[in-house]
Amino acid sequence: MADGLGYFFAALGGFLAPATLFNIGWATLLGMTVGMLPGLTATLGVALLTTLTFRMGASDAILILVCMYVGAIYGGSRSAILLNIPGTPANAASALDGFPLARAGRAGEALGLATVGSFCGSFIGMLMLALVAPVLAEFALKFGSTEFFWLAVFGIVISGRLTSVDDPLKGWIAGVLGLLVAMVGQEGIHAYQRFSYGSTDLAGGFGLLPALVGAFGFAEVLQVMKNLKYETVRGASDRILPRLREVAQRTRTIVRSGLIGTFMGLLPGVGEDMGAWASYAAARRASKTPEEYGKGSLEGLIASETGNNAAVPGAIIPVLTLAVPGSAPAAVLLAAMFIHGVRPGPLIMIEFPSFIFEVVAMVFVASVAILVLGLLLTRPLLLVLRVSREKLMPVVFVLCTVGSFAIASRVFDIRVMLGFGILGFFLREMKYPMAPFVLGIVLGDILDKNFRRGMVLSDGSLEPFFTRPISAVLATITIGVIVLAIPPVRRLIGSLVRRIPFGRSNP
Amino acid sequence: MGRKIGLRPGPGLRADFLFGLVLVALGIAVAFESWHMPRLTELGVHPMTAPGLVPGLLGLVTALLGGILTTRSARTGDDSIAGVVGSDSRNLSRQAGRFALTLVLCLAYAVVLVGRVEFALATGLFVFSFIVLFEWNSERDFSGHVRAVVFASVEAVIVAALVTVVFERIFLVRLP
Repeated sequence: MADGLGYFFAALGGFLAPATLFNIGWATLLGMTVGMLPGLTATLGVALLTTLTFRMGASDAILILVCMYVGAIYGGSRSAILLNIPGTPANAASALDGFPLARAGRAGEALGLATVGSFCGSFIGMLMLALVAPVLAEFALKFGSTEFFWLAVFGIVISGRLTSVDDPLKGWIAGVLGLLVAMVGQEGIHAYQRFSYGSTDLAGGFGLLPALVGAFGFAEVLQVMKNLKYETVRGASDRILPRLREVAQRTRTIVRSGLIGTFMGLLPGVGEDMGAWASYAAARRASKTPEEYGKGSLEGLIASETGNNAAVPGAIIPVLTLAVPGSAPAAVLLAAMFIHGVRPGPLIMIEFPSFIFEVVAMVFVASVAILVLGLLLTRPLLLVLRVSREKLMPVVFVLCTVGSFAIASRVFDIRVMLGFGILGFFLREMKYPMAPFVLGIVLGDILDKNFRRGMVLSDGSLEPFFTRPISAVLATITIGVIVLAIPPVRRLIGSLVRRIPFGRSNP
Repeated sequence: MGRKIGLRPGPGLRADFLFGLVLVALGIAVAFESWHMPRLTELGVHPMTAPGLVPGLLGLVTALLGGILTTRSARTGDDSIAGVVGSDSRNLSRQAGRFALTLVLCLAYAVVLVGRVEFALATGLFVFSFIVLFEWNSERDFSGHVRAVVFASVEAVIVAALVTVVFERIFLVRLP
């Protein structure tokens, strides 16, 4: 731990250079802007910035991406409060109480408290990142092929289950479709070109970044332009700086939401949205005034904003230690780390011992940046929300086109972006969640290689997949999650335990 | 499980039912292709590392999930096209029109213009036509139209110049 603190302060000292401070400032502001604008998500922001920064040094580029990520998840609360439209899906729970507060003329108060909540969430998540990641990395050294196989399956199953609470089947379909996408191109053991049909472009597989820019950028452009209504905003006139006492009164809610948010972030492909919903549900259950929730409860707002921002460092934990993303934007961050020559995974504490703590320091400066910029620049930033979609969306699409081309300079990648955009649009229209789809694209290779390696090691027997201790635990949880989602099983269990009240995490 | 909505699902609206069938077809096709991939046994590799193993299994899972989706939809009559709730057919066709216009403009830019025309010019043209077409309002008088066109041109020029400069000069990225 002393080493960790040393690395942390060394990294922090490095960030004090004027050029770096400048990068932190603009990246966080850009992130907040992206987060605020409905239709632009954290995933898209991080993906586009990855394409812009891939010629920079690893440390600068990843710092910029972390600032964008933290800034965007925070920025989404602005539009959730003022417009009742979550700027990113992670802020949906914030709209429940934020918007009623704004309508009651307390927009500034809500914005200020959301800012403090986001800062606290990031901070708690950051502490957990520093504490949990090194331990998890060491534990992950015990993982063999069968464990990584189950981890991939578990990721898809839990992500599909939690991002599509009403209909897990659709979450799982999205995840399996992502896995299928990952099967295209050269496979990792014999370099055989699957589903390529002689095309050199297809032999390279679909790039994660063009696919994400399509599914989160172009699909959103289509979605936003299709809708008949689009709200722009007026402003906040009351006090924005929150009183210390108001925050101190809610310490319990903040800590609870921070821990829940981090845990939700840590689960593969679950991420910020569920971080917010689960924290919100837990806060309501523990509240002395649950009837205020949904009508303008400051406690509810702070719970969801703390929860979603805590999920950001939470989602980075598995990225660093297992190379498995905790959320869709974290998947882009993972891809960016590979681009910059950092190899996250169980060996990270051995190969790059300082890196985890550098990322902790990055999250720290990004959190401070949202606190300072958020409280100082709330009013001027709201001007962004006055831009009409007719003027904004063509610019977004231009960026998607340039961004998908930039990394490899391949026209094929623009086509990939367009294809995934159209696919993503229709999947979303039919209520398929995107996070398991993204996770599937990332985990496809891990699942494929480790299943086959495991089968070779066991000489064709499935037994070790169920008998090795860690595998057995992962397998049990995975199968349990699937079985419990089957309606007749749920009804049976429901009738057995009817007396115990179960809270729903997604109201 | 699925959402019940007030409308009776008519033909063409049964998204789940049809998409389930698509998934079944896709899954079977993937499994079939995977089965016919070379097993590479002539190279002396372990049969369990055959390239088609995992995609084949995933194909079967896809078909299974698609089958469940179709069966469920047929049994419950659920439908999941978003936006159907509460919107009449006029709104639906307006939405479809806006969607189609966006798609056509974006494809014209990304597939036809980019790569053939100078990047800045292509971008300017795209931004200009996007704004003008979507902001077109027949109730405006002549000066209103002129103002809209001028604003669109200004934004088009600024965006084209800014994107080109920022990407090429500051971030040193190659443009299509």
